[in-house]
Amino acid sequence: MSKGKPVPHPAPESEPYWQAAKEHRLELPRCNACGQFWFPPSQSCPHCLAADFAFAPVSGHGKVFSFVTFHRVYHPAFEQEVPYVVALVELAEGPRLLSNIVGVPPDKVACEMPVKVVFDDVADEVSVPKFTPA
Amino acid sequence: MVEPSRELRDICAIVGAGNSRLGRVPGVSSLDLLVEAMRNAIGDAGLKVSDIDGIVCRGPDESYCHHQRVGERLGINARFSTTLDNGGASQILAVALATMAIKAGLATTVICGYGRDAWSRTHVTEEARVRNETRPESLRAQEFGPEYGYFGAVAAHAFGATRHMHLYGTTREHFGHVAVAFREHALRNPGAQMKKPLTLAQYHEAQPIVAPFGLFDCSLRSDAAGAVIVTSRERARDLRQPAVSIKGFGSYNNLTGWFTGDNMVTTAAKQSGEAAYKMAGVGPSDVSCAQLYDCFTYMVVAQLEDYGFCKKGEGGPFVASGALRMGGRLPTNTSGGQLSEAHAEGVLQVVEGVRQMRHTYPAERQVKDAEIALISGHGGNQVCHSTLILGRA
Repeated sequence: MSKGKPVPHPAPESEPYWQAAKEHRLELPRCNACGQFWFPPSQSCPHCLAADFAFAPVSGHGKVFSFVTFHRVYHPAFEQEVPYVVALVELAEGPRLLSNIVGVPPDKVACEMPVKVVFDDVADEVSVPKFTPA
Repeated sequence: MVEPSRELRDICAIVGAGNSRLGRVPGVSSLDLLVEAMRNAIGDAGLKVSDIDGIVCRGPDESYCHHQRVGERLGINARFSTTLDNGGASQILAVALATMAIKAGLATTVICGYGRDAWSRTHVTEEARVRNETRPESLRAQEFGPEYGYFGAVAAHAFGATRHMHLYGTTREHFGHVAVAFREHALRNPGAQMKKPLTLAQYHEAQPIVAPFGLFDCSLRSDAAGAVIVTSRERARDLRQPAVSIKGFGSYNNLTGWFTGDNMVTTAAKQSGEAAYKMAGVGPSDVSCAQLYDCFTYMVVAQLEDYGFCKKGEGGPFVASGALRMGGRLPTNTSGGQLSEAHAEGVLQVVEGVRQMRHTYPAERQVKDAEIALISGHGGNQVCHSTLILGRA
């Protein structure tokens, strides 16, 4: 649990993403016309503009595309967390997600490192996807 | 194939340039700093306020129709006026739009500028500082960022730095050379915010902010404004200052996002620069000095590559060679840049480019025999870019 941290206030189009995360499933919008996943959620496919899509599970595996390590406290709720890593994770299915890399010291994180999803139950009704070395 | 129009090359000139007091100017709003810079630009040009019939500016994010408030302060109506919304790329776009408006016959003499009170605004209270630093994220939907402790422009650009280091072996030492070179330039500029020398050792010892960036990788919080005046080459002949010709400009916007594709490593400067070079009829080897948007040290390295001053991936060794210093291959940010002079979202880069082309600086600040200046603007969540190429008239 992480007291006082910002919790997601989803846009309407991302409600299904957070609902799945609450149940510890990583699901992204997938286009029924061209078959591709995308992120962040929106009402039409950015690859082919089709509006026919459904949320579908992804493998939860990916690799670190790039990352940064926060030393500065920008928000008081993260005072005990620094230094912490925020990474751009490229999923095996293609889309890139911003997240934290956990379960590994910041100085061991590297670009291209294989990672897999884990879920952090940050509030009673809210779970946030994070990533850990695969 | 889209081709930038050569009909715009050398038809307009910048005839006035000015800045406000820079650095810490408590008690003055961003609007009044901008008006101070505009008054200085008008005086510099030897014009009367009533000669100005166009305004193109960018306002603070929270201001609506900012150009109206500028016109009200200057006491003028305008044939052509608007406010731009491309972040740090806006200031060059303003000069580009002014040129197009003059060519279209919609205005004769257009003032462009930007001002901000970022030092005063962030030093009132700790709460104000936190609110300011987290604000860009909180304006959007509250997801996919804040819950991970992801805030602010430092981190966004640091992602690009990490990726560049991974792909090309770029090091913090390389970034340090950028910070040190610009500080040297600031020490020759009496108006600069930073007054003390900076060594590579001090660069390395500084506190980390968002790694790989430490304190000296980050640009300044400044109260600062700048303004320039654009008119036709014909009108420019009768004015006080040596006219500086607008040879070309360009822009490109990676609207799919900073995190998409390779946008954080090969930035929109590439296409923006190609357009500007074509309009101006020059290439990288013709450029005598560069005034680059240096929000962070890494962005200088990336842009040097994207503008073709060296190959992609060779920006680190290029800056380590001393190329950016006075007397180097490409003296860059010769007034100190946003890292050491003051941060006014790119407008001071335009002002400095104009001053270098006038050849009126004392020898220690003048890039010798400078004929062409390349100026860049970057912003709008890292994806909007603009380029301006100036030359001796």
